[in-house]
Amino acid sequence: MKRINFTNTTAQKIYDDYFKRVGRCIKILSADDQLEISMELNSHVYEAIQGAAVQDEIAILVDTLEKLGPPEEVLQPLVAEKKVAQAGRSFNPKHIIQALFLNVNRGAAYFLIALGYLLIISFGSLIIFKLISPSHTGLFVKDGHFYAFGHTSIVPPGASELLGNSFIFIVILLMGLFYFINTMLFRLMNRK
Amino acid sequence: MNAEFVQNWFSQVKKGTLSYIILIILDEKEYYGYELVQEIKTHTHIDVAEGTLYPLLNRLKAEGLVESRWVEQESGIPRKYYVLSKDGQATLAEMKNIWSSLDMAIKKIQK
Repeated sequence: MKRINFTNTTAQKIYDDYFKRVGRCIKILSADDQLEISMELNSHVYEAIQGAAVQDEIAILVDTLEKLGPPEEVLQPLVAEKKVAQAGRSFNPKHIIQALFLNVNRGAAYFLIALGYLLIISFGSLIIFKLISPSHTGLFVKDGHFYAFGHTSIVPPGASELLGNSFIFIVILLMGLFYFINTMLFRLMNRK
Repeated sequence: MNAEFVQNWFSQVKKGTLSYIILIILDEKEYYGYELVQEIKTHTHIDVAEGTLYPLLNRLKAEGLVESRWVEQESGIPRKYYVLSKDGQATLAEMKNIWSSLDMAIKKIQK
């Protein structure tokens, strides 16, 4: 991005500081999104300065930046939306968790997605339990009826585990399924 | 008069109609961000918080209602122009219908 050059050093510092703040607000986004946002704000500042009637660089710049607003406030919704779009594109859990954090105030849909990820983590922990305590982890039936799926500290008399080591495979499948559903939800929400 | 209530109500009205206003303006020709802000101010006398325009434009773009393109300038600082998409034009037509109906209904009630 081409920076705007000011003749007044104070104006230059104000400009540089503002764009440093912008950079900090958007560093969580992809390089392309960061460049896009910075370039658009830079263009806004440049056009405002070009169109200003007065010649005082500092006064024009301060007025323009005040009208734009603090980057921490005005960029928050833009960053949140772009992060959701990135999460929907990438399937990367890091982006998805960041998007969840940024959009935690956007309601029940995100709560459901967060719940989905909690289930994925829980399934993942079941694999560890199965390796540590194979006789207490799995799909348990008792008297021909479902008793438990997961880890149980007490296996009651008459209960038996059905899946054996296949339990790990089933749990991995479930993790993949929930991961896929969650990411599809992200994409759907992004389209809306 | 409850000035605070009116102020809050007007803020809500502004918030709710800004995207409609932007779509109407972009239906005429393409605008870049700063130019669009000036156009809104000229026509509506609404004091737009300029920074909030870009998240809104991004949302309209994500919805497929507007399209954008970067245009290089001699200054070396390009402008990002926005224009209504085909879907945006159809959406705007429907929004105009809704707005007219609402306007008529309010005028009827006010009589």
